[in-house]
Amino acid sequence: MSAQIGITDIVSQHVDKVSGWKLFVQTVIARAYPRVIGQQREKSWMFFDVVLPLLGVCSYVFVYRAIGAPEDYIGFVVVGGAMIAFWMNVLWSMSSQLYWEKEQGNLALFILAPGPMMAILLGMALGGLVATTLRALAIMVLGTWFFNVQYSVASFPHLFAVFFLTMVALYGMGMMLASLFLLLSREAWHLSNLATEPVFLVSGFYFPIKSLNFWVAAAASLLPLTLGMDAMRQLVFASGPSLGFISVPLEIIILVGLSVVFLVGARALLSHMEKLAIREGRLTENRR
Amino acid sequence: MSGNSNNSIRTENLSRIYKIRSGKKKDPKQLVALQDVNLEICRGELFGLLGPNGAGKTTLIKVLTTLLAPSTGHAWVAGHDVIKESEKVRTRINMVSGGESSGYGLLTVRENLWMFAQFYGIPSKIANQRIKNLLEIVGLSDRMNSKSSDLSTGLRQKMNIVRGFLTDPEVLFLDEPTLGLDVGASLEVRNFVREWVNADRQRTLLLTTHYMVEADELCDRVAIINRGRVLACDTPANLKHQLQHESIFHLQVSPFNGKTSSEKVRGIPGVIKVTHLPQDGYESVELILADESVLGTVINTFTAADVQIRNLEKSAPSLEDVFVKLVGQSMAEVESGEE
Amino acid sequence: MQPSTTNPISPFWRSFRVSTWLGWQIESNWTDPLLFAIYSLVRPITGILILVIMYGVITKGNYASPTFAYIYLGSTFYMYVGSIMAGLSWAVIDDREHYKTLKYMYIAPIHIPSYLAGRGVARFLVTTISVVATILVGQFILNLNIDFSAIDWPLFILSMLIGILMLAMMGMILAGISLLIVQHVWFLGDGVASALYLFSGAIFPLEVLPAWLRPLGYFMPVTYWLELVRRALVGSVAQAFPTLSGLSNLQILGILCALTVVFAVIAWLVFRRCEHLAREQGKIDMVTNY
Repeated sequence: MSAQIGITDIVSQHVDKVSGWKLFVQTVIARAYPRVIGQQREKSWMFFDVVLPLLGVCSYVFVYRAIGAPEDYIGFVVVGGAMIAFWMNVLWSMSSQLYWEKEQGNLALFILAPGPMMAILLGMALGGLVATTLRALAIMVLGTWFFNVQYSVASFPHLFAVFFLTMVALYGMGMMLASLFLLLSREAWHLSNLATEPVFLVSGFYFPIKSLNFWVAAAASLLPLTLGMDAMRQLVFASGPSLGFISVPLEIIILVGLSVVFLVGARALLSHMEKLAIREGRLTENRR
Repeated sequence: MSGNSNNSIRTENLSRIYKIRSGKKKDPKQLVALQDVNLEICRGELFGLLGPNGAGKTTLIKVLTTLLAPSTGHAWVAGHDVIKESEKVRTRINMVSGGESSGYGLLTVRENLWMFAQFYGIPSKIANQRIKNLLEIVGLSDRMNSKSSDLSTGLRQKMNIVRGFLTDPEVLFLDEPTLGLDVGASLEVRNFVREWVNADRQRTLLLTTHYMVEADELCDRVAIINRGRVLACDTPANLKHQLQHESIFHLQVSPFNGKTSSEKVRGIPGVIKVTHLPQDGYESVELILADESVLGTVINTFTAADVQIRNLEKSAPSLEDVFVKLVGQSMAEVESGEE
Repeated sequence: MQPSTTNPISPFWRSFRVSTWLGWQIESNWTDPLLFAIYSLVRPITGILILVIMYGVITKGNYASPTFAYIYLGSTFYMYVGSIMAGLSWAVIDDREHYKTLKYMYIAPIHIPSYLAGRGVARFLVTTISVVATILVGQFILNLNIDFSAIDWPLFILSMLIGILMLAMMGMILAGISLLIVQHVWFLGDGVASALYLFSGAIFPLEVLPAWLRPLGYFMPVTYWLELVRRALVGSVAQAFPTLSGLSNLQILGILCALTVVFAVIAWLVFRRCEHLAREQGKIDMVTNY
C-alpha cells in the first residue's frame, strides 16, 4: 500500500463537515441514491414490476367482464393495480427494510453515523417513491390502453393534492412501520406477508369501499391508500362520485391528518425503538 | 467527562449481561459478556484489546460505538457519554469490522464510499477526492468503478477500511480488521493502521484482535480480556517483562495421554504453567517454569511415561505466554473449549 | 466416510428427505404459533373475499349461481399454483442470499432438484391447510353448495397427484431462472403465478379472453387441472361452462398427463441450462442487496 499520496497528506487535510439540516438533506439524498440507481442498473424491474402486475390486473378485469360489470369498474381495477405498487413498496422496501439492513450489517453503520436515522428512512422512502412511481405509471398507461379505459377528471388540482397527500401519509406510515419492525426478526417478513391480501381487501383496490360495512371501511381508512384511492376514483371516473365512501374534501382533510400523525409517529417511534434496540442489543443480532 | 481530559476512551465498571432466549423456559439464562471493565485510553494511542473468541471484545466495541447499552457502569468516548450524548459521540467516531459484508452490492466501490461519507456530513467534492486518494493508498483505485459485489473478500475489506478512515474520525474502532485476510493483505492493513496513527497523534485507535502478533506489533498498549474481564493492561513490553524472571520452553513430544502426563508435570514444584496442544503426529507443549533448573525434572517425568522429546526450545516470553499465565490456558485451548 | 452409492434412489431420497425436514424447520420457525395459524388462514381467505365481494357487488349477491362456485373453487385451488411454484424459486433465493448455504448444497453430493422439491413440501402442507379452511368457509358461510356425498374422490385424488407433480415441474423452471436473477425479484414465483391466473381459467372462462390469447390457456396444464378438480367436486356445475365442456374427464386427464410430461422435459432442460450459466457466471454464491 504506497502511492504518490501518503497517509500524512490525507490525515493533514482538515475535513469540513456539514451538520444540522444540511447533513439531514445530504443523508436523505445519499440513502435514496442506491434505490434510484438500482433500478437503472437492474432493468429486470420492467418485467417483474410492470408486466407481471399488469397481468394480474388483467385477470381482475376479465372477472368483471365475465360477470357483466359496468366499464368504470374496469378503470377501478387499472387504477387499483397501479396503486398496489406503492403499497408493496411500502410493505417490502420500507417496513421490513431495516430488518434486511440489520442482516446485511448496514444498520449498525447507519446508526453509528451522525446522519439522522429519520433522514435515512426518508431517503429510503423517497428513493422507493421515485422508483415505484415509474412502475405505477407504466401499469396505468398500459392498462388504460389495453382496456380503453375512459377517464373523466373532475379537478386536476384536487387529483394532484390527493395523490401527493396519499403518498406523504403512506410513506410516513412506512417509516413508522420500519421503526417498529426494527425490533422484529423473521416476524418482520411474516407480518409484511400477512398484511398483503387483507389490505388489498379492506382498502378497496378493486372495488369501491362503500361496498363494505361502514365500520370496516372506516377502520380501513386509517390506511392512506383507502381514502386516497376512493378520492381518486371520485375525481377521475364518471360514476366515481356515486360510489364514493365520503366526500373528496373530507378525504383530503383526513389525509392531511394522517400525514401529520404518521410522520410525527415515525419520528417518535424511531427514537424509542432505537433506544430499545440499543438496550436489548438488537441492532447487530442476526437471528434467522 | 470525569477524569483525565487527555483520555479519549474511558470506561468505569462497565458490564453487559445478555439474556439468552431459551424457548419456553421461564428463567432465561444470562450470559455475562462484560464484567466490571475499567479502561482509560489516551488520545493518540493505538490500543489493543486481545482475547479469544467470545471474550467480550466485540461487545465492548459495540458499547463504545453506541450500538449497545451497558447493563451497568459508564463509558465515555471523545469526551462524551455513550448513552446520554450518543449523537455527539457518533460525529467523532467510526468503526470497521472484520468479515463485513455491508454496503450495497449493486453500487460501485466509489458509490458505496460516497454514500457513507454523506452520512458523516462530508461534502461530495471533498468526499470524492478523499475516496480517490485513499483507494490509491490501499491499492484499490483500479477497482473504484467496480460493483462491490464483484470484489473478493480481501478487496472488500480494504473498501471497508477506507470507509472507516474516510470520515476522518477522532476515534476509530477496528474490530478484528484482518479477519479472513491473507498474510499479505493483513500486513498491508497493519502498516496502514500504524501509519495513520503516527501521522497525527491526536487520533486514537482501538483495535480488537485475537492474533497475538498483531497486538504485539501494532499496539502502544494492550488489554488482555477473557470471559468479559480485563485481566491485564499495559504495554506489550511490560506485560512480557512480567515473565522475564521465568523460563519459557517449547517442546515437541510424541503423542501421549495428555491429561495424565500434564497433571504429573503440573505437580512438579517450580512448574508454573503447562499447556499442550495435539498436532499432526506430535504434541506441542509449552512450559513456564520458575527456574530453568526445573526442566530436568520435567524431562525425566516425560521419559518415565515413555514420552519422547523430539524438540526443545527456550523462548523469550510472548504475549501468548502472558495470556497463558493469566488465563491458565492458551488462546487455542480456550477457543477449542468454547466449541 | 463416503455417502452410500449402492442404492440409485439414495441420493434423490436423501436430498428430498433432508430438505423436507429443513423446509419445515424454516416454515414453522415462528416464535408465535398463533401468528402462524393466522397467517395460514387470514391471507388466503381475505384473498378470496376480494373476489367474493367483487362478485357480490356486481351480481347483487347471487351466490347460488354456478358462476360463483366456478370462481370460488378455481381461486381456492389456484393457491397451490403460487405456493408450489413460489416455494421452489424462493428456496433458491433464500438459500443463496439470506442463509448463504446454496453454494454448500451445490458442492455436496445431493440431487439439487430433489432438494428444492423437498423445500417446497412444507409450503404445500401449509397451503393444504389454507385450501381446506377456505373451502369450509365457502361451504358453511357463503353457500358454496358442495355436495360432499357426490364428490368423485378417485378423480379428485388422481387430479391432485398429477397436478402437484405438474406444478413442481413448473416450479423447477422458475427455480432455474432464479439462479440467474438478482435478489430483489424474490417474488418471481408469486409474480408468474399471478400472471398465469389470466390464462388458466381459474376465475373466468377462457372465452372471456380475446381470441388471440385463448390458445395460451389451452396450452397451460393448470387449465385442465382446475377443470378436473372442479368436476370432481361440483360435477355438473363445472360442466355448465363452455371452455372444456366438449371433453370427457378421461380426455382432460390424458391432456393433463401429456402436458405434465412436456413441462417436465422443459423443466429439465431449463434447469440444467440455468445451472450451467449460473456456474459460468459465478452466480451460485452471489449476494446482492440494494
